[in-house]
Amino acid sequence: MGSHPASDNGQIIDPVITVDGMWQVFGVKPEPAIEMARRGAGRATVLQETGCTIAVRDVHFQVRRGETFVVMGLSGSGKSTLIRGTARLADITLGRVLLDGEDLTAMDAETLRRVRREKMSMVFQHFGLFPHRRVIDNVAYGLEVQGVDKKERHRRALEVIETVGLAGWGQHYPQQLSGGMQQRVGLARALAVDPEVLFFDEPFSALDPLIRRDMQDELIRLQRDLQRTIVFITHDFAEAIKLGDRIAIMKDGVFDQVGTAAELISNPATDYVREFTNDIPKVKVLTARDVMEVTTTGSGWREVRETDTVESFVPFLLDDIRPLTVVDDTGRPIGLVDRAAVSRLLGSDR
Amino acid sequence: MSVAAPTARPFETTTVQRAIPWLVLAVGIIGLQIAFGWVDGFPAAWDLTFETPIDDAGAWMRANRRSHWLFTGLFSPLSGIIDGAIDAVGGFLAWLPWYVLIALVFLIPARVRQFRAGAVAAFALVYCGLIGLWEESLETLALMSVAVFIAVLVGVPLGVWGAMNHRVEAMIRPVLDAMQTIPAFVYFLPLFMLFGIGNVPAAVATIIYALPPVVRLTTLGVKRVSPQAVEASRMFGSTTRQTLLKVQLPMARPTILTGLSQTIMMALGIVVLATLVGASGLGSPVLQSLNQRRTGRGIAAGLAIVAVAMVLDRIWRSLAQSERTARIDRRVLGWTAIGLAGATAIGVALGWVDFPSVWTPSLFDPMDQAVTWARDNLSFLTRPFSDFVVASIYIPARDFLTDTAAWPVLVFVVAWVGWMLKGWRLAVFAVAGVLTIGLIGMWELSIDTLVQVIIASVLAVAVAVPLGVWAGRRPRVEAFFGPILDALQTVPSLVYIIPAVILFTVGIVPGIIATVLYAIVPGIRITALGVRQVPTETVEASRTFGATPRQTMFGVRLPLAAPTIMAGINQVIMMVLAMVIITGLVGAGALGFETVRSLQRSLFGLGFEVGLALVVIAMILDRFTEAAAERLQPPGGH
Repeated sequence: MGSHPASDNGQIIDPVITVDGMWQVFGVKPEPAIEMARRGAGRATVLQETGCTIAVRDVHFQVRRGETFVVMGLSGSGKSTLIRGTARLADITLGRVLLDGEDLTAMDAETLRRVRREKMSMVFQHFGLFPHRRVIDNVAYGLEVQGVDKKERHRRALEVIETVGLAGWGQHYPQQLSGGMQQRVGLARALAVDPEVLFFDEPFSALDPLIRRDMQDELIRLQRDLQRTIVFITHDFAEAIKLGDRIAIMKDGVFDQVGTAAELISNPATDYVREFTNDIPKVKVLTARDVMEVTTTGSGWREVRETDTVESFVPFLLDDIRPLTVVDDTGRPIGLVDRAAVSRLLGSDR
Repeated sequence: MSVAAPTARPFETTTVQRAIPWLVLAVGIIGLQIAFGWVDGFPAAWDLTFETPIDDAGAWMRANRRSHWLFTGLFSPLSGIIDGAIDAVGGFLAWLPWYVLIALVFLIPARVRQFRAGAVAAFALVYCGLIGLWEESLETLALMSVAVFIAVLVGVPLGVWGAMNHRVEAMIRPVLDAMQTIPAFVYFLPLFMLFGIGNVPAAVATIIYALPPVVRLTTLGVKRVSPQAVEASRMFGSTTRQTLLKVQLPMARPTILTGLSQTIMMALGIVVLATLVGASGLGSPVLQSLNQRRTGRGIAAGLAIVAVAMVLDRIWRSLAQSERTARIDRRVLGWTAIGLAGATAIGVALGWVDFPSVWTPSLFDPMDQAVTWARDNLSFLTRPFSDFVVASIYIPARDFLTDTAAWPVLVFVVAWVGWMLKGWRLAVFAVAGVLTIGLIGMWELSIDTLVQVIIASVLAVAVAVPLGVWAGRRPRVEAFFGPILDALQTVPSLVYIIPAVILFTVGIVPGIIATVLYAIVPGIRITALGVRQVPTETVEASRTFGATPRQTMFGVRLPLAAPTIMAGINQVIMMVLAMVIITGLVGAGALGFETVRSLQRSLFGLGFEVGLALVVIAMILDRFTEAAAERLQPPGGH
C-alpha cells in the first residue's frame, strides 16, 4: 500500500511502534526457559525440559508512521500472541513496546487506558461486536467510554458508518447484518475514535473469499485517505502482499524475514518463505522499480511508471525489442527495463 | 519424545482380578455379620445426645430474644426490615382496588410491548380472585416478591464477583452446591430459631433456597460473554466498571433472566412449606384441603400458587427487559397512569377493594367427586398395589436392614460402594456420614427413610428412563410430554399428594406415589436430552454397519447417553429427598414426620438431628450418583 518505506535495514525514521526484544513464554517458570532458548535450544526442547511454551521469541520490529506492517504466519506461529502483546491485551514476559516513545509495557492501568482512548483501536477476527447495541452504539462505543456526549458521538458515528459504506444501517443490530457488513461495523468502530494506530487481528479470515477481497479493497481505499499506522495479522500470504508495505513472515515465534512484497518474492531468505512465494505470480506483484536497472539517463521507446506491475508492461516489451523508461511520480526518469530483466525474473520462477 | 514401555495394562483385567472386589464384599459381609450379628441396632450408648445442647440453645434464644445483642443488634433489625418490606408490599397490594391491580399486572409487561405476557399475568391474577383466594394470593405475592428481590439483590453481585475472581468462585461453588443438595425444609428450623415464627423465616428460607440459580447463572452469563467483545471494550480504554456495565452485564442478561425464572420457580416450591413456620398466604388453604381431603379446593389453591409465580415471572422479566423492544408511546403511558390513579381514587373512596366474591369455586366440586369415585371404584387396583409395596417390599426391607443386618455390615457395604465408585476418599466420607447418623441417634429413622427413598427412586427411575429414551427418540412424543412435565414440576408437590392420599389413604404409599410423580420430571427430561445429544454421525455410522434399531439403541445410544442419564438419576434422587417432609405430612413416618413434629412443637434439638441425618443421606447419595456418572464417562474427557 502506498509508497515504499524509507529504510528496511536498521533504524526507521519516525517510528510509531517499536517492539524491542519481545518474549512471550507460557508456563510457570519462564525465566529458565528464556535462558535455555537464548543458548539456542529449540521450542520442543524447551517445552520438554521446562514445561514452558515459547510463543514469541525475541522479536524486534518498528513501524513507521502511516505504514501498514503485516505479520503473516500460520496457526501456532505466535502471530496472535505477538499482536496481543503489542497492544498489551496480554502482558509480555520480557521486552518493551514503545508507542510514540511511551513504554506501553511499563504503564499502570490508568495511563494505559488513557493511551488506548487516545491512540489505539483494534479490529477482531470474529468482529467482537456488542450484540446488545445497535450498529450506531457499537461504533460510538469508544467515544462513549471517553465520556463524549450522546449527540456528538452519534454524529461522529454516523459519519464513520457512511465512510465504511453502511449508511442507513445505524439502527440495526449486528446480528441482522451479514458477516462482511459486521466487519465493516468493526472497522467503523475502530475508526470512530480517530486512532493513530490500528491493530487488525486476522480481520477478514472469517469472511467468504469474495467479501474478503471487497474488504481488502475497502481498507486500501480508506488507508489512502487516512494514512494510519497499521499492524495487520494474517495467515493469508496473498492478503499480506496486497496490503502490506512491509511484511514479516513469522514461524515458531520468530520472524523468518521482514521486507516488502517484492523483496520477499525476489529474494526469499529461507525455504519456508520460498514456499509461500512460489504460489504467487511474480509478474503481478513485482513492479517496474523492482526489476529496473537504475540509471537517470535512460531513454526507452516508451515510459512506464515505477509502480506499474511487470504484467502491465510485458506487452510493450513484446511489441518492441528496445527497453522502456521507468519514471517516478513526478515523471522523472529513474531507470530502464528490458526483455533480459523480465526473462531473468520469469526464469527464476521454477 | 520417547515412549516408556508399558509396565501395566490397565485395560486388560483377568476374570480373577475382576472378582476380587466382590469377594472382599462377600467375605466382609459374612464375617461382620457373624461377628456382630448379636448386636441389636446401633449402640444406643454411643448417642452423643446432640439434641440437649441445641434444645438449651433454643430455650436460651427464646428467653433472650428481646435482650441479647445478637438479637437486638442483628436478627431483630434484619427481621424487622424483611417483615416491614413484606408488610409494606402486601399492604399496598391490598390497598389497591382489585381491578387496578389487575390492570397494573397487565400494563407493566405491556409497557415494553409484551402484551401476551401481560395478558397471561392478568389472567393468572383474575384466576386467584375467581377461586376466592384473592387475599391469600396477595400475601404470597408480597412474600415472594420481597424474597426474590432480595435474592437478586444479593445474588447478581455475588455472581458477578464469582465471574471476575476465580478464588471467589471456588469458594462460592461448594456453598451453592450444599444449598441445593440440602432439602429446603432442613434450614427452616435454624431460621425458625433465629427469626421466630411468621413470614420472616419463610422469606429467608426462600431467599437461601432461591439464591443458587441467580448466582450460578449470573456467573455463567458473565463468563460466557465473548472474550473478543470484552477485549474490544478494553482496547477502547474502558474501565473495568464500564466494561462490566456496558458490555458484560447486558450481554449476560438473557442468562441472568433464566436464573431469575428458576429462582421464582424454586421460591414457589417453598410456599406451602412456609406455612409450617407460620407464613401467611396460599400455603394454608393447600394444607387445610389436605387435612380435609378436599381435592378440588386443594388443587385450586395449588394452581393459585402457580398463578402467583407466573405473575411474578412475567413482571420481573418485563422490568429487566432491554431497550431493544420499542416502548409504548409516552403520551399513551401518561394518560394510562392518570386513568389508573383516578380509578384507584374512586375504588378506594367507594371501598371497591377486595375481589368481588360473586363466584364460588363450584368448578372444583366435579374434581372432588371424580376422586371420590375413583377411591370407591378403583380400590381393587389401589389396594393390592398398596399392600404389595408395604407388605412385600417396604416392611421386609426395613426390618432386614434394622433388625437382621448388624450395623457394622451396613457401614462396610457403604464403604465398599464408595470405594468401588471413586476410591478410598469417597469411602471415608460415606463412612463418616453413616457413623454420624448413628452417633446422633437417628439410625433407625434414617434406615426407614432410606428404604422409602430407595423404593420411590427405583420406581421413578423405572418410569422415567424408558419414557425419557422414548421422548429422546421421538420429537413428537417429547412435544406431547413437555407441557405435562412443566405442569408436574410447577405445581407445588403438596398438591398432587392430595389425590394420592385419597386414593391410597395415609401411610407410605401416597407419599411414594406423589414423590414419584414429582421426581420423574428431571429424570425424563435429562434422559431425553442425553439420548438426543448422541451425535447423529455416530448413530449413522452404526446404521451403515447394518445394526438393527435395537442394536443401535443398546450398543451406541444408551452407552453414550449413560453419563447424562446418570445425572438425571442423581436429580431424581435429590427430588425424592426434597419430598421427604411432604411424605411426613401424610403419615409416612420416619425422618419426614419428625421434621414436621419438630417444626410444629419447636423441638429444636430433634429438628437439628433429623435435619443433619437428612443432609448426610442427601450428600452421600449425591456423591455416589455423581461418582457413578463420572465412571460412565468414556475415558479422555467428554
